[in-house]
Amino acid sequence: MMDLNPFEADNSVSCRLASQIPEVCRTEDCCLGVDEAGRGPVLGPMVYGICFCPISKNQELKDLKVADSKTLTEAERENLFQKLDEAKSYVGWALDVLSPNVISTSMLQRTKYNLNALSHDTAIGLIQFALDSGVQVKEVFVDTVGPAEKYEQKLSHLFPGIEVTVRPKADSLFPVVSAASICAKVARDRAVERWKFTENLGEVDTDYGSGYPNDPKTKAWLLKYLDPVFGYPQFVRFSWSTAQTLMDSQGVSVHWDDDEEDGEKAAKRQNNRSMLSYFSAPAEGEKTHQTHRFFTDRRLKSLNSL
Amino acid sequence: MAPKKRRTPNTQNDNWVVISADSIINSTKHNSDPAFLRMRNPSTDEASLYVLGSGDLQLYEVKAFEEDFHSWFVGQTVQRDGRLIFVTPMDPLYLILPYLIKSGREGKFQPVDQVVKDEDFPACSRLLSCTRSLASLHHIAEEKEVGSQKFHRYSQDRTMDWLKKKVERTVVALKKKNVCVGEGVKSTTYVRVKSESDNQEDYLRYAHGLISDYISADLSKALLGHLGLSELKSPKETEPPSKKRKLSDKPVEAEEDYTKFNSADFARKPPKKMTAAQKTLAKVDKSGMKPMSSFFSPKAKAEKK
Amino acid sequence: MSCNTSVTHLDASSLKRAEQVPVHLLPCEIEHNGVAQVSQYFTATTKDHKQEKTVSFRGRGLKGQEISCPQGYTGLVLKEVNKHGSDQEDRTVRISSVFNKLTYWNLETPPTSDDAVVMAMDWPEVAEAIHGSVED
Repeated sequence: MMDLNPFEADNSVSCRLASQIPEVCRTEDCCLGVDEAGRGPVLGPMVYGICFCPISKNQELKDLKVADSKTLTEAERENLFQKLDEAKSYVGWALDVLSPNVISTSMLQRTKYNLNALSHDTAIGLIQFALDSGVQVKEVFVDTVGPAEKYEQKLSHLFPGIEVTVRPKADSLFPVVSAASICAKVARDRAVERWKFTENLGEVDTDYGSGYPNDPKTKAWLLKYLDPVFGYPQFVRFSWSTAQTLMDSQGVSVHWDDDEEDGEKAAKRQNNRSMLSYFSAPAEGEKTHQTHRFFTDRRLKSLNSL
Repeated sequence: MAPKKRRTPNTQNDNWVVISADSIINSTKHNSDPAFLRMRNPSTDEASLYVLGSGDLQLYEVKAFEEDFHSWFVGQTVQRDGRLIFVTPMDPLYLILPYLIKSGREGKFQPVDQVVKDEDFPACSRLLSCTRSLASLHHIAEEKEVGSQKFHRYSQDRTMDWLKKKVERTVVALKKKNVCVGEGVKSTTYVRVKSESDNQEDYLRYAHGLISDYISADLSKALLGHLGLSELKSPKETEPPSKKRKLSDKPVEAEEDYTKFNSADFARKPPKKMTAAQKTLAKVDKSGMKPMSSFFSPKAKAEKK
Repeated sequence: MSCNTSVTHLDASSLKRAEQVPVHLLPCEIEHNGVAQVSQYFTATTKDHKQEKTVSFRGRGLKGQEISCPQGYTGLVLKEVNKHGSDQEDRTVRISSVFNKLTYWNLETPPTSDDAVVMAMDWPEVAEAIHGSVED
């Protein structure tokens, strides 16, 4: 079964969850599907999933009637996950639950780490995990939203000897991708539903809607839970423009030294200042005083008023 | 993403985060409160903020730690002004000295209360109430007693000796605090290295520089001579860097005592961007320095023992 | 230029009523002076590791550490009483809260002894050398 406790113990960091590795997957050639859930929403984690089974069992997997998870209701997905679990003698899965806090802080990092890079690295990490666990991966199928060709080249290069197929909508084309999609979506739904706010907010209204920025329920929730200083709890992805726009218009302004507008100017200013203090020797007779570097190193200066 | 909003000026500030000597708040015996006031800064000749403690018995200096883009959380509030203000005890003689020097030009012995006067900064006469002021005037002036009245006349010799003692005290503190006084390349990506060129002269020069923040440029120059140090030219005018600092032509080695650093120090920081000025400095100041690799060579370690 | 004769009085008696508060120095400028749900959002999500603390603010990762006020020093938060416009008049500040340690935060970089605020804490001891009495 899927146990989300390790993630819920600390939902500010990402977490890997995995099924037992079926013995047959260590001895027989396997296919492996990769899919993601919750890429678009402004709320909650994004979940990356892989599912794998012997190539010989592909038809059996198909017979479980796993289809693209997006076309299913939540109950249907839970039901299908149940079926996958019952097939654990030959089907295995692994998930990376990417905490919304990790998504925010990565995307807003000084050296920006965009969602595509994060997605690719996560997928690569999961495939490597399967290999490290002894799964005889021979074929990999990946669902993608970005340009498929480049991604396919990248993966083929990274995993020589594995036949990689990257396709948009792969989840409706390959059963093993559909299965990965179901695992990811089930985990994402559960993580959102059972989200434990580490912030001390008392009772939190859980009527988030779908979490997609254009969902009126999600919008209403974002308006209701906007704090003028802190913005949002870590449940919200701060890097989404929806959240940024709301904070800009309804919250107090916050400025960082690497802000595009403020920061560059400030850096320039500081540069000029230090250039001056180092190199412009005071002209003869001119009344200038250079503060000793003990103070400038420590950002200490005299005041002339409080 | 929408461009960031510009910063607006912080005009509403009425809060200050301060680190203050305990003596300011502990001496509540006297009925007057401590006061922030402006007096003439002996080094800049302009107004600076000082504090006179309760009963004017102790003078304090006010310095602000200030980095751009900082704010405070204080309890359940935000304070936008991110400065941290230090209030530290100050020797009142530094502020009295310029007035004595000025009157000393007349060559006469005079009562100090007639000397320490300033139309622009009337508060300066309160300096004479400080416990240490009258008791330590002999460090900077000759004294004459006529009847019950004392007269003073500025003495450059006494002042130099007094300032020299100040420098020496400061050297001791700098060593104790392990303040990096050498002018070698400032390394931000490596564990701080200390070279043998962090020698007595570097300490003396550094301490002299610190004391110079409290005295006039003329006095600072005289003190340098009194300490037996020659004037260093500014980097702009200097000849090839190799000639610049003869005294530091010694091998450098890794600092021995790493234990005082947090282990966090060893986690490699992403290299900070150097400012153009730092880059130029790094180029200039390699006099007598071995390449980086030699810091960690076995030879350097062997020399330690 | 502002008036050199105006004095700001520090109401020392207010110390008795001042409470200890946690103080955090943040690596960003927040355009706000006033209340904020610091304990609910910030303190509640701060994590303590061996060498450093971590937290997020506005979606940005912060790393910090706690440092103590130097020996013989106390942290004070001063607040102006009846702030007025003129700089000719005397002003009064009172001690609204006190602290003995503070937590400073870096944007993404781990705290080290080279951080400017840590180095600034050297000042009182060096100041004592510069300003203490010399023997005769």
